[in-house]
Amino acid sequence: MPHLKTVYAKYQNDPAVAFLLVSIDDDSKRLQRYLDEMTFAFPVARAAATQAEQAMKFDNIPATFYVDRSGIVRYETNGIESHGDSPSRISWFIDQLKTR
Amino acid sequence: MQTLRAFTAFIVLAAAAPAAQTTAREQLARGRALWDQRLSKSAMAALEAAARDRSTAAEAHEALGRIYMFKGWQQESAFPGWHDEPSYRARAIAELRAAIKADPARASAQDALRMAEGFAAADKVDPAPPRDEVKALDAKLESFRNAASAPVADIVAAIEARAQAQADPAPYFTGAQILLDRGEADRAIALAERGAAVSDRFIDENLSAYQMSGKSEGSYARGRALAADLVGWARVLKKDYAGAAAKLEEASRLSQGQDFTNQFHLGELARAQNAPERARDHYLNALSLTGFSGGPPPLRQRATQALAALPRSGSDSSFDAWLDAELSRRREARKAAALKSLVDRPLPKLTLTTVDGRPYDTSSLRGKVLLLNFFASW
Repeated sequence: MPHLKTVYAKYQNDPAVAFLLVSIDDDSKRLQRYLDEMTFAFPVARAAATQAEQAMKFDNIPATFYVDRSGIVRYETNGIESHGDSPSRISWFIDQLKTR
Repeated sequence: MQTLRAFTAFIVLAAAAPAAQTTAREQLARGRALWDQRLSKSAMAALEAAARDRSTAAEAHEALGRIYMFKGWQQESAFPGWHDEPSYRARAIAELRAAIKADPARASAQDALRMAEGFAAADKVDPAPPRDEVKALDAKLESFRNAASAPVADIVAAIEARAQAQADPAPYFTGAQILLDRGEADRAIALAERGAAVSDRFIDENLSAYQMSGKSEGSYARGRALAADLVGWARVLKKDYAGAAAKLEEASRLSQGQDFTNQFHLGELARAQNAPERARDHYLNALSLTGFSGGPPPLRQRATQALAALPRSGSDSSFDAWLDAELSRRREARKAAALKSLVDRPLPKLTLTTVDGRPYDTSSLRGKVLLLNFFASW
């Protein structure tokens, strides 16, 4: 999450890029507390956990999908990966899709 | 008693002739109806039955011939995921000839046969070969692979000449490889980087030739992956391991870990960096790739030897048995992941709400590169 914040700062004024975080919490009070603590600058939405897991086929969170301009999923990372979900890696995925 | 049995037999026989005819007619109608629904296996079975009866042979053979023609030459674009089945082509022509033999005056069968023969003739047309000039320049460049004493300037001239003749990136990548083998790492890096730019341009210029957007994305990624791998490998040879890792890993992401040479290079890098665990992982990844992506046999042998030389912990079995088990485990895992992954598929529809429960409007996300992250506060 801190990495996402760092990367968002880089792209928040870029009209070609959007970030959306989707919470699969079912406890809305707990989610609200968490969001208050984290003070995310980017948009946050909610989805039902089972619906999201089935539609997006992930079984590990955080799950990040990188979608190109035409709505096709191009990259996917699941869980916290050993190679590091580093800001430079997140930027790399975004930049790849921006040049397409 | 005797008389009665003979009488019964006579009745059965008398009824049999018209009954068989109705059945063949019915089979023909059923086959056609099934084919209208594109239920081809059942349609073909019904029509084959109808073709055996003389009264419906011409019609049934023609219907079968048309189905086979469709399967052999036309079905590729009829449904997503369907492909032409060339094995039906000869059968299509045979069925249509059988239809005409059964009824020489049958005009619709003659039309269909002409069409099928047209398709068959088109198959024999030689697809556009590369220009002779390009072929010769390719051969010249290739000849430097085994010419250890050729001056570097001659190699560079051959690369430039081939690049002038046709704007695809192949001469840059081939040339970079040849120069790398000669120890010319810096020149190889420069060429690979030019190759990456040329590859993008070549795809842009011929975008419609790639037909599907997924295919052109794949081609962009292939050119960039190849360039990144060449630059990374050149840096390994220059002992710039940190720089090499960045490029080789970029290539690995672009090829989704499915390029033999790149995985082998990552293995070699890890070995040079004294990281046997990581080296083992990459060598195994490389060797678990098969078929077209399985890499050239000499490199496979080198990967196997490197792997055998690495220390192995927690296994008493022979190297070969261990390797077999490891490779099949990786292949299974890759198959499972490919079935599950959304990569290269459209983003599914999701019902989203705002944090306070109102419908979430996703229209502002359309047409943008989107990072979509699913999380939970627990």
